[in-house]
Amino acid sequence: MDFTFDNNIPIYIQLLEYLKIYLISGVFKCGEKLPSVRDFANTFKVNPNTMQKALAELESMNLIYTERTNGKYVTKDEKLIEKLKDEYAITLAKSYFQGMKRIGLGKADSIKYLEGINE
Amino acid sequence: MSNMELLEIKNLNKKYDKKYVLKDVDLKITSGKIIGLLGKNGAGKTTLIKLINDLLTPTSGEIFVKGNNIGVESKKVISYLPERTYLNKQMKVSEVIDYFKDFYENFDDNKAKKLLKDLDLDINQNLSKMSKGMQEKVQLVLVMSRKADLYILDEPLGGVDPATRDYILDTILSNFNENASVIISTHLISDIERILDEVIFIDKGKIVLQSDTDELRTKENASIDEIFRRMFKC
Amino acid sequence: MLKKLLKYDLKYMIRNMSVFYILAIFFAIITRLLSLLDQSVMIGILTKISSGCVIAMIANIIINAMMRSWLRFRDSLYKDEAYLTHTLPVTKNDLYNSKLLQTLIFFFIGFIIVLLTLFIAYYTKDTWHTIKEYIKTITTGFNMSTAFFIIMAIVVIFLELFNAIQCGFLGIILGYRKNNARLGFSVLYGFITYLIAQTLVLGLVFIYGLFDPTVMELFKTATINIDVNAFKVLAVITSVLYLVIIFTMSIICKRILSKGVNIE
Repeated sequence: MDFTFDNNIPIYIQLLEYLKIYLISGVFKCGEKLPSVRDFANTFKVNPNTMQKALAELESMNLIYTERTNGKYVTKDEKLIEKLKDEYAITLAKSYFQGMKRIGLGKADSIKYLEGINE
Repeated sequence: MSNMELLEIKNLNKKYDKKYVLKDVDLKITSGKIIGLLGKNGAGKTTLIKLINDLLTPTSGEIFVKGNNIGVESKKVISYLPERTYLNKQMKVSEVIDYFKDFYENFDDNKAKKLLKDLDLDINQNLSKMSKGMQEKVQLVLVMSRKADLYILDEPLGGVDPATRDYILDTILSNFNENASVIISTHLISDIERILDEVIFIDKGKIVLQSDTDELRTKENASIDEIFRRMFKC
Repeated sequence: MLKKLLKYDLKYMIRNMSVFYILAIFFAIITRLLSLLDQSVMIGILTKISSGCVIAMIANIIINAMMRSWLRFRDSLYKDEAYLTHTLPVTKNDLYNSKLLQTLIFFFIGFIIVLLTLFIAYYTKDTWHTIKEYIKTITTGFNMSTAFFIIMAIVVIFLELFNAIQCGFLGIILGYRKNNARLGFSVLYGFITYLIAQTLVLGLVFIYGLFDPTVMELFKTATINIDVNAFKVLAVITSVLYLVIIFTMSIICKRILSKGVNIE
């Protein structure tokens, strides 16, 4: 997979987004061991320092934790991940409605459109 | 050792005839960083790099690499890729590998052979039979196959195709470790800025800015490329 | 590190000089073979041609050894290759000494090849005898041993060539000291250095002559009628002076190099 980065936004923030989606979508499950910083950096083709920064950020949000010698693990707290998912979904929904509002469609209409889409 | 600067430059000046090409340069670089030395053509990037590599003599000022002056000790720990082909064209690639192995204790010939293979370069070929682009790749392989403390790459992306560009960046990243730093000089900022920890802007022989990359992006709310363009409008 | 540098400098010289060595010996063998045949007009002409080739190759070996030494010196210290040379973890002294030793070794090898070529092409009992007789007339005339004469001649020629080479090195160093170096300056500096070295030798011999009237005679008379002793003294003094000059100049070269270079 190729990862694209927008040079206008700090890379670690973009990495953080990617990582959050990994957690939400269950690419890495609760309590699962994460790849090393170096492996992660190689996958994303980014500087290991930047990767480290993104992971540290994730850790400060308690979404992952470090076991002293063994490396990093996804939190065992499923509620935290659920909460993250919830927040993310709300953000996405909000941005959808904002977009619809811009072209003059209210909430009710917007929902109709949503229902009309076959995945 | 850890709190000693990897590279420290104090009040460095370089004059050609009466014109200053570098003026009052002060610089400190620590280990474990990928640093972009960014500037327009003729800004003084190559001059600075050549001074660090003993290819130019300073008009005044001092350069320390791990506390040593420029000399045998500094050359042991610096792996330098110049912006020109510098190998004796009469040699075969395999001979050049032996040459590096002879002179640099930290040269890993197995790694070099592996990288050459990745790039589809024939170890038995004569350099004179290779295109300039191929020779540049050989040089990059040689430079990256040293386990150095400081890698200095002068315009490694100039004139290479996008595929090679990606390969070069990947090679830099995968060889990078926390004990070393990499200085990459370039004017092609957008291609490279995502891998940089730190940027140094140089213009008219002066260091105008040294900053953490993401901090700068957050502060200016723009890409490094754009910030650079804003600063040095032609 | 000097050993490693020398290894690659010698490899370079072998790569570029061996063709002349091989050709010289090849033509020498041809000349010899032709001389063994019946001497018809045709064979006579061929022998002349082949013989000419031998001489040309001998000249090539000597001239090329000099030119290559200079070229190699300039290329590896001041051209594109300098980017590698000056970033090797070796001292400037080693860099210089390696080039100097390489030249010395190649003069020596060249000298051996030239002798070998001459031997293959022209050795007969008669020519050997003629040469021996010729040398003998000189040495008896000078009242010195043949060995002394030959050794002295070789030493003086060697030192003279060596001095010339080093003048070239110094010329290159001076010419390329600054940016925007031009080859012309190097040649000029080299030539001036050479003149200075020659003048110095001559001047010092002259000064010695002030104390030794027999040597002084050499400056006054233009005849062959030289004092035997004076000739010996002259040869020894000249050799010593050359040695001193070569040594001093090599120190000067290394000093300037150690102060740093400016590679374009």
